[in-house]
Amino acid sequence: MWQTLVFGILNGALYGMIALGIALVFGIMKYLNVAHGSLIIVGAYGSLFLFRLGVDPFATIPVILVALFLGGAILFFAFFNRLIQFPEETKIKNSLLIGFGLMLVLDNLATFLWTGDERSITPSYSGVTFQALGLRFPLIGLSGGFLALLLISVLHLFLSRTYFGKAVRAVSQDHEAASLTGINVSRTFLISFAISVGLAAIPSVLIGLQSFSPTAGIQWFNKGIIVVMLSGIGNIYGVFPAGLFLGIIEALSVFLFGATYREVTGLVVFVLILILFPKGVSGSRADS
Amino acid sequence: MKVPKKIWIPICAVVLSAFVPLLTKSEYFINLLIMLFIYIVISQSWNLQGGFNGQISLGHSAFFGMGALTTRLLWMSKIPILLAIIGGGLSAILLAGMVGIPCLRMRRGYFPIGTLGLAIIAQIAVGNILPVPGSLPSEYLAGYSLPSRYYLALAVAILSVLVVYWVIRSRAGWAFVAIRDDEEAAEAVGIKTFRFKVKALLISSFLAGLGGGVFAYHQVSYYYQSPFELSWSFLPTLTTFIGGLGTVLGPILGSICYLALNELFAFTLGEIHLVIFGFTFIMIVLFFPGGLMSVPARFQSSSATRKT
Repeated sequence: MWQTLVFGILNGALYGMIALGIALVFGIMKYLNVAHGSLIIVGAYGSLFLFRLGVDPFATIPVILVALFLGGAILFFAFFNRLIQFPEETKIKNSLLIGFGLMLVLDNLATFLWTGDERSITPSYSGVTFQALGLRFPLIGLSGGFLALLLISVLHLFLSRTYFGKAVRAVSQDHEAASLTGINVSRTFLISFAISVGLAAIPSVLIGLQSFSPTAGIQWFNKGIIVVMLSGIGNIYGVFPAGLFLGIIEALSVFLFGATYREVTGLVVFVLILILFPKGVSGSRADS
Repeated sequence: MKVPKKIWIPICAVVLSAFVPLLTKSEYFINLLIMLFIYIVISQSWNLQGGFNGQISLGHSAFFGMGALTTRLLWMSKIPILLAIIGGGLSAILLAGMVGIPCLRMRRGYFPIGTLGLAIIAQIAVGNILPVPGSLPSEYLAGYSLPSRYYLALAVAILSVLVVYWVIRSRAGWAFVAIRDDEEAAEAVGIKTFRFKVKALLISSFLAGLGGGVFAYHQVSYYYQSPFELSWSFLPTLTTFIGGLGTVLGPILGSICYLALNELFAFTLGEIHLVIFGFTFIMIVLFFPGGLMSVPARFQSSSATRKT
């Protein structure tokens, strides 16, 4: 029981990190980037490539981060840039469609380049666990949790202490008013989008250390979007706790119903939230 | 209902396709056409909701799969196939009524996300409950004839086109389009928007279920979860956008295009052909929202653009 809970929390930290990237674009720009999961998988392949050259997986994170950041900026310039002026509903719809096209492109490109085989990054310490309080803590999961905490604090400082962070929050509340006060909305969008894609680097490596295949992106996107819905749209600080919550729920469901329904539990929670709180759990605060 | 001009084109197409099994013995070609008809059914169904009513659904794989599952199970328990397929369509309506309508109640713009969740839940649930491939028993295999599949698929495809054609020319069709174009304005002129969105969803899911039924009748052996795969949600999105969103002809053109390109490039280019599809799709969404149907209009004077 407690052991499942430990794994649940560590998984939850991973979900939280995935969701953070999605929440950043969705909360601020009302873009739903369905391809976020596929970008994570692409990052995982990058990390695997570097690992085979002899680089430690955790040391690849900065490289992947920069690469994904630049990739995100290019994607924004090429496609998402054109949706800025649309109303919210059209933005969600069109970004979703573009994201879906992008997913098709990335997934199949990955299949073409690296075949459909399941891969994983296997450093020498991949099976190492710590014993404490009679429970086992996997080294990789723990470092993942630690990285997640680091990430969330850096992002928090960034959004609350810098001028750019203030601009981001202003744009997420009302982008017309923000634009009137002299904030460059387009540039804010660009940088937020690039950061969101760059944030995928840490989950990339952590998922790479588990196992991945070219088409796994949509599953990870699902986890992310469930967490975003749980935390409420536009509420970036709620994302990480919501991720932990999902991890714990999944762990409990594995304990109660068996591992086969793990995926279903999250999605049922998700649909229930959408039905019971059609206006979002707490998102209306930042939105309206 | 007024008989449209150029009625002879679809009639010729139907008559011509009715003779195909008599003219060719190529099973490959007939199977290809059956797939085309299934694509047309699900694309028409998707287009009614996504194109005419503006509710982009990613849950059509759930309706399609539900239709396939019910049809297959009914048919296996000795119920005539026609009744079984109607049962499949009805079961899809039931699913749409139970879980699709709550999705419509969500905040504006969240319908695609909700239905995506629904589609994934359905796929995982069926994959867990019925993990085995469903093969036809030997007495069914002995009576398997390709032309009967062909004509059924053709009939359902024609039915779907007629239903969509008829619906969008009825009062409800005007309401659908009004809701798509401006929901608040539609509400303001007295259209009960939610009721019409439900109507579009139910008709659309029924057609998708029928398409699933044809799939179940045609395939000899498949995993029960394979018609639930998300690609069945993405396929009609792709074909409809390629052909032309919100037109009756668009999904047909899109399906033909998609299938033809698929057959041409799947072997020569492998996965790359899907990369090209994805890229084309993005380009269409961004620059050609009218799809193929808008191409002639771009060359003609603007007076000729109103045809659907």
